[in-house]
Amino acid sequence: MIVAERLVKEFRLAEREPGLLGSLRTLFTREYRVVRAVDDVSFEIPAGTKTAYIGANGAGKSTTIKMLTGIMTPTSGRCLVAGLEPYRHRQRNARAIGVVFGQRSQLWWDLSVPDSFRILRRIYDIPEPVYRRNLTLFRDLLDIDALGTTPVRQLSLGQRMRAEIAASLLHDPAVLFWDEPTIGLDMVLKDAVRQLVNRAHRELGTTVVLTSHDIADIAAICDDALVVDHGRVVHQGTLTDLLRTADHRSVVFDHRDGTAPETARQRIEAGLPGVRATPDDRGRIRVDYPTGRYTSREVLAFLLDRFDLADWYAPEPGLEDVLRKIYGRSRTPGTAHEGAA
Amino acid sequence: MITRLRRYLPFATSGLQSLLQYRSMFAMTAVTAAAGAAVTVFLWRAVYEGTPGRGPGGFTVQDITTYLLVAQILQVLHTNRVDDEVAAEVYRGDVAVMLVRPVSYPVMRFFACLPVVGANAVLVGLPVLGLFAAIVPLTAPRPADLLLFTVSTALSVLLAFCVNLLTGMTGFLTTNTWGVRMVKQSVVAFFAGQLVPLALMPDPLATLARALPFRGMVDGPLTLLLGRYDGWADAAWLLAQQVAWAAGLSLLCAALWRAALGRLEVLGG
Amino acid sequence: MTRTVARYLWLSFFLGGVGLHRLAAYRTDFFLGAGAFLVRVGIQTAVVGLVFRQVPAVGGWSYHEVLFLLGFSLLPRGLDHLFTDQLWELGRKLIQRGEFYRYLVRPVDPLFSLLSERFFHPDGLGELVVGAVLVGYAGAELDLSLTPLQWALAPALVLCGALLHTAVKLFFASLSFWTVTSLPAMYAASQVSEFSAYPLDIYHPSLKALLTWVLPFAFTAYVPSVYLLTGTTGLLGWLPVVTVGALALALAVWRRGVNRYEMTGS
Repeated sequence: MIVAERLVKEFRLAEREPGLLGSLRTLFTREYRVVRAVDDVSFEIPAGTKTAYIGANGAGKSTTIKMLTGIMTPTSGRCLVAGLEPYRHRQRNARAIGVVFGQRSQLWWDLSVPDSFRILRRIYDIPEPVYRRNLTLFRDLLDIDALGTTPVRQLSLGQRMRAEIAASLLHDPAVLFWDEPTIGLDMVLKDAVRQLVNRAHRELGTTVVLTSHDIADIAAICDDALVVDHGRVVHQGTLTDLLRTADHRSVVFDHRDGTAPETARQRIEAGLPGVRATPDDRGRIRVDYPTGRYTSREVLAFLLDRFDLADWYAPEPGLEDVLRKIYGRSRTPGTAHEGAA
Repeated sequence: MITRLRRYLPFATSGLQSLLQYRSMFAMTAVTAAAGAAVTVFLWRAVYEGTPGRGPGGFTVQDITTYLLVAQILQVLHTNRVDDEVAAEVYRGDVAVMLVRPVSYPVMRFFACLPVVGANAVLVGLPVLGLFAAIVPLTAPRPADLLLFTVSTALSVLLAFCVNLLTGMTGFLTTNTWGVRMVKQSVVAFFAGQLVPLALMPDPLATLARALPFRGMVDGPLTLLLGRYDGWADAAWLLAQQVAWAAGLSLLCAALWRAALGRLEVLGG
Repeated sequence: MTRTVARYLWLSFFLGGVGLHRLAAYRTDFFLGAGAFLVRVGIQTAVVGLVFRQVPAVGGWSYHEVLFLLGFSLLPRGLDHLFTDQLWELGRKLIQRGEFYRYLVRPVDPLFSLLSERFFHPDGLGELVVGAVLVGYAGAELDLSLTPLQWALAPALVLCGALLHTAVKLFFASLSFWTVTSLPAMYAASQVSEFSAYPLDIYHPSLKALLTWVLPFAFTAYVPSVYLLTGTTGLLGWLPVVTVGALALALAVWRRGVNRYEMTGS
């Protein structure tokens, strides 16, 4: 469905010198620096999958999405969406895709959401039954009616995102590209968005590509993950498998046996060498353990044995943590930069 | 007082910094100004053509050329972008963010526009003046008149700031500040004497123009520059009028700003 | 091909309706916009009036001839204004804020998509009405009687003029693909277009040449007005050539710009 072949995108950035004198100087001379936002990336995403596009170090998530949606032309290499090069066949590609860029609106700024939808219906030639079905769906799941006749510019971020998400689904696109789509959405709405996507996926076989900084967002929508590093696909498979690769996992617990936090910390760290325990000021203790040395079963058994547990949970590993393992210990994903996008 | 003012200095330098990032802007502003000056200059030169010595209103060809050219340059100094920026910030609701800073928004705006004025004077005003001086003969002012003109120009910049701030604040009332700004621009250009010197207006119109604050923006400074006043008392009177208007409009700005904020709180930005 | 044309016509019609609907919703805006032009043209007319208080003719043109020219210059300008004013937004902020992408992800031509966001810009209506009134008034005062050919050509002259305005605007707005914002350039161009409201004969020869061959605003009002007032064709034969050339150049620049678009900005 989606193919990227040795995609490269370079940007020319004007060097700006700091301070007033620097600004004065750039008035007369200007130097440019070439930044490779996407560096020789190749991958393939099968039709009908819900894939999180994760990457750092020259993967240029947003920039890649912009090339896949036809907004930008690659410096070299090419990509195909449903057999078309998007930037060469923008209009035909546009019919097949639905797009959300969380940071930027694509709705009509001074029109209400229903008015925007009416325009979209004309532009995309959406058949009446499809339009009606989707509107009903959005009404039920996203509570789109509550947005009323307020112009888009006066909506809150969460309200706007609901409208953006609905707009991207209105014409039953074959592929959805969502770049940071869950900004401003609460848990209830995230769940509704997931239901919408699942439905489209189940009934229409929609392919979903998503980027996000928050692994919880990704987990809420995607089944699969595609991790790109330095132009190489370093992981392609289910999200669950990806999370399994984390080199540290955590358990957070609460206890009622009155052990002082500092004593508890020392007891855990002495009993399980290589583990770090961090008490918070409300008496809860977070235990981070390296997955290579301990299983969750061992850690839990230890805790159950030494403490009177009142409550416990194991949070999802952070994205940084997962990626650190995948990229290998020589590189630090924390220094990843997103290019100019 | 000094420490309080120092707080506003960053706004002045950052205003200039963001301005300098767009170097093409100055070239384009210069083209705009040169074009604007050319329309009025050539139109009125066509009138004075073939009139040796003093023509209508007591102007010579050089006088009227100088008047209209410098009028256009003054207009460039008055284009401080305060009107559109304030209007845009009100429209987007960014004004609310400004309110949490420990500075007065109008005062901050004033300091942010000063470097714009300075940069425009040097990078736009001087080149345009040079260009026209090369094509058409101009009147050289007397040194004393030049001094008076400088003082008067400084006051005109303050007047223009107030007028533009008031224009920008209409953003609280309407979303089409483009239209309001267009009206302001036309009305101010006309009644300031930028398109037609007040001396060439028929009586009721000239009286009206003299009674409005806009006169101090163009016709006032130019009357001083060309030495078209009756002794020092008359010159002082012209300056005094400018000072009075500047003070009056500043107070009006402050009062309306306060009122607008009250409205903002009611509407929730 | 015909299907595409029909689709775009239908879309224009529909989006024009949306534009009118918006006018109703922003009534004050409409009156402000149209009123603003009334004031502006009123002041322009006043300046011309004040000029002719001093002399009977300027550059060989009488008062009413200049009024005719002034009025005629508003017609193509207003027509252009009515349909293409969203281009100002392109020059002003669409590139700078990275918002331009939305025209590239819709299944219609990006230029159409951009322009259609603001069909029926209210300010244009004001210009058209005031222009027509001025032309009518000045024509009547001059006892102007047009030949059938002149009558037939008049609408085409207005249309070509409008297309020229559009071409210049599109050209300068498209520069923003390279310079992030091109508002100053657009302002400069629109300021230069003000020359077209007065007889070209009063300007310095270099300026005259500039307005004829570089920024061809002479063809939007001066050339047609000379033809309608005196019947002299003069440069009239060049009008279609210049119009097509300017449009082709502007569209080429636009296309290049769209293809190099980088969705940067904050």
